[in-house]
Amino acid sequence: MSQPPDHHGPSYKLPSPPPPDPTGWYELRRKARTTFWPPRPVAWAGLLALAVAAAGLHGLWFLGSLPGRLPSPTDWKAVASLVAREARSGDAVVLSPAWAERAREILPDRLPSGQDVTLPLLAFPSYAEADEDLSGVKRVWLVSLPGAPGASPRIARQLASRSETSEGPLQVGRLDLTRYDLRSPLLPVHSFTDRLASASIRSPGARVIRETREVDLLPRTCIVVSFPGPRPEPATLAFPAVPLGRALRGHLGLVGDVSAGAPPVSLLVKVDGLEVGRGEATAARPLWSAFQIDTGRISGPSRQVTLEVVPSGPLPRGVCIDLVSLP
Amino acid sequence: MTLRNGIAMTWAAGLLLVAAATAPAVGISRDESVYVEAGASYVRFWREALRSPGRALELADRHYEWNHEHPGLAKGIFGATRTLLSDVLGWTGEVQGSRYGAFLFAALLAFVLALWGFDLAGPLGGALAPALFFLAPRHFHHARSAVLDLPVSALWLATTYAFWRSTSASRGRLSTAGWAIATGLLFGAALATKHNAFFLPPVLLAAWLLGSIRGRQREAAGQDEGGGPWAFAAMAVLGPLVLVASWPWLWHHTLPRIRDWLGYHLHHENYVSYPFVITALTVPAAILVAMLGGVAHTGGRIVAAWRGRATTVSLPTEWLLLLNAIVPIALIAWPTVPHFGGVKHWMPAMPFLALLGARALVTAGRLLSPARPALVTSLLAALALAPAAWQVAHAHPFGSAAWNEIAGGAPGAASMGMQRQFWGDDLVAVLPALNAHAMPGARVWFQEATTLAVKQHQRDGKLRPDLLVASGPEDADISIWQYHQEFRDREFRTWTEFRTARPVAGAYLDEVPLVQVYARPGAWR
Repeated sequence: MSQPPDHHGPSYKLPSPPPPDPTGWYELRRKARTTFWPPRPVAWAGLLALAVAAAGLHGLWFLGSLPGRLPSPTDWKAVASLVAREARSGDAVVLSPAWAERAREILPDRLPSGQDVTLPLLAFPSYAEADEDLSGVKRVWLVSLPGAPGASPRIARQLASRSETSEGPLQVGRLDLTRYDLRSPLLPVHSFTDRLASASIRSPGARVIRETREVDLLPRTCIVVSFPGPRPEPATLAFPAVPLGRALRGHLGLVGDVSAGAPPVSLLVKVDGLEVGRGEATAARPLWSAFQIDTGRISGPSRQVTLEVVPSGPLPRGVCIDLVSLP
Repeated sequence: MTLRNGIAMTWAAGLLLVAAATAPAVGISRDESVYVEAGASYVRFWREALRSPGRALELADRHYEWNHEHPGLAKGIFGATRTLLSDVLGWTGEVQGSRYGAFLFAALLAFVLALWGFDLAGPLGGALAPALFFLAPRHFHHARSAVLDLPVSALWLATTYAFWRSTSASRGRLSTAGWAIATGLLFGAALATKHNAFFLPPVLLAAWLLGSIRGRQREAAGQDEGGGPWAFAAMAVLGPLVLVASWPWLWHHTLPRIRDWLGYHLHHENYVSYPFVITALTVPAAILVAMLGGVAHTGGRIVAAWRGRATTVSLPTEWLLLLNAIVPIALIAWPTVPHFGGVKHWMPAMPFLALLGARALVTAGRLLSPARPALVTSLLAALALAPAAWQVAHAHPFGSAAWNEIAGGAPGAASMGMQRQFWGDDLVAVLPALNAHAMPGARVWFQEATTLAVKQHQRDGKLRPDLLVASGPEDADISIWQYHQEFRDREFRTWTEFRTARPVAGAYLDEVPLVQVYARPGAWR
């Protein structure tokens, strides 16, 4: 039996017209899709070959170009001569990247002036004002390896941001040498660490010494108070005739690896017998913690400052305390 | 000799020669110094026990007390080659003599890799697989030290190969039972080398079980025979027997000593990302890409077989290769599994990654140029291996300090705060300076190098005999700082004690300090 006729006649639905494609982009995409999807084994093989070739060529380029990115012994010697000739008291050398400590073997560690003036060489990961005081340093000589893999301009930027002027960079082979004159150098009038010999120390069972030790993986020259005994008692360090200015600024931290925990240590700072401030060293970050005590109202040319170090448990490696008096 | 055996023998002999020629420049790590002495002690046991069998237990307690944290087989072999080459023939020093035992294990690894590579991908596969493994600088470094990680990797691979042959139709001259017995014996040898072999049976079992899940693959591929259970039985019986027989320390108080041995290894630290990051930053990038391509290729073959599109793919073989390539790395990443100390702990995975990489490169050659597949594969192999070979030569003898181009080499890795070296072997680079400049009778603080290693250097003529060992900077004239971030305080204590932060000598890899020597005034001439 035949269907009844449709009085409206047959209907047609036309496909929507293709989008305008004046650049041929859609056609290219269509072709790429039909060629590469679903991926055929040869496409995967091509991809692997391409990746191996790219990695191999990059490897060859990397190894071939590496010597040209690193300084030669002559470069190091030239920089050492320049620093020895130009450096003066209050200068320090900074390395970027911090691992480039071959410099320690080659650069001078003292000024060649005949006086016994050290030229500190610093290899810290950061020189932001919040991280490093650069106490006693007026000018910084930045020795950088700009072409070394992993090199970064971060340290140069940090130094530039806290400097009044800079000179350089002077390119010495594959080394750059730049001098930064710090805008507001921290110039203490008294370093408790350097004057430890003048202190009278009462430390039953504790050991007190000026040392360079590791705090949070970095070298800190400080007063190290260690408590090897099972029931440690507080240690008292009395410094006579300390010139006090606007503030006492200090850092303290537990020595060595504290990842397995260590008992906290408190530091009480007293001026002429009165407590003016305190700090605490713990196994939590920041491991090298800063503190500042305002001494503007009690300033004077000759005060007795007492540091009372109070351990909460045995601490054979000790606590590292660095304290200065600011003018 | 067949081409297959010829390739394998050439690789084994070539590796032995290259290792022997280059090993003298490689320093002595902490572990190696102990294993060399332990090996000598174990040889003394066998000599004395053969003369007085009635005293065997007493002698075992005395001579195997040395380093009983690890089983005795590999160290015993180190001791045997040392006895022959150094003590009897006088051809080598004692450390080099011990290292010949390690070269034998490296040659075994190359031999089995070449055989299996040939079986999986033909002659090019056989030639490529050992190259992809040994041209990673850290792997080649391990091939030249008398330590346990490359031997256990070789025996892990050999055990798995025997297991594969026991389950495969292509058995060669041995029967299924013969390969099963070989599996058991090799597993015992692996157990008697290092404890991580305990993880091998679960991997083989998992591969065997997963291999039986066939999806739409109607029947097993022609080469599958399913002989697994015999191999498992052999491993269960022969494994412990070989362990105990080759380790006289276990000949009495067996269970308490096994408990102490395993208990000792549960006290190291672990980080989940560690093995993945270190692998990605130490294996040369092009080899790494080939290995990852091999893993993807194997995954693709398994999926294709499940979908019924690849009737010739042996699912048990694919799972065996894939799990062995992945599980040792994943195990180390597992938060409760202890580890420390660089690539060595997941090294058993690396030969399998090399096999998969070799097969992937050969397959890529076939697909890209059916007319000249060998040419394309050779070209790809050259691109993958040339930078790797360069890296091996460049890092020598500081193989444990090598980082790949993704890390930026040693400088890039130092910028990232990565470990610069492992366990004191780079000390060897400053020995000539020490011999030339140290004052007579100077006391030297060797830090990471053990006193055993110092004495071995002295007996082998690499270090002046008048130099003495100091225990710290306080009683030292010279201090040899070997860069380990976690021990940095040792360097700073030296600065305090010697009143200087200026080294007198050093060893550097691409400007990165590995070792720096400090001296008191007058101690360095």
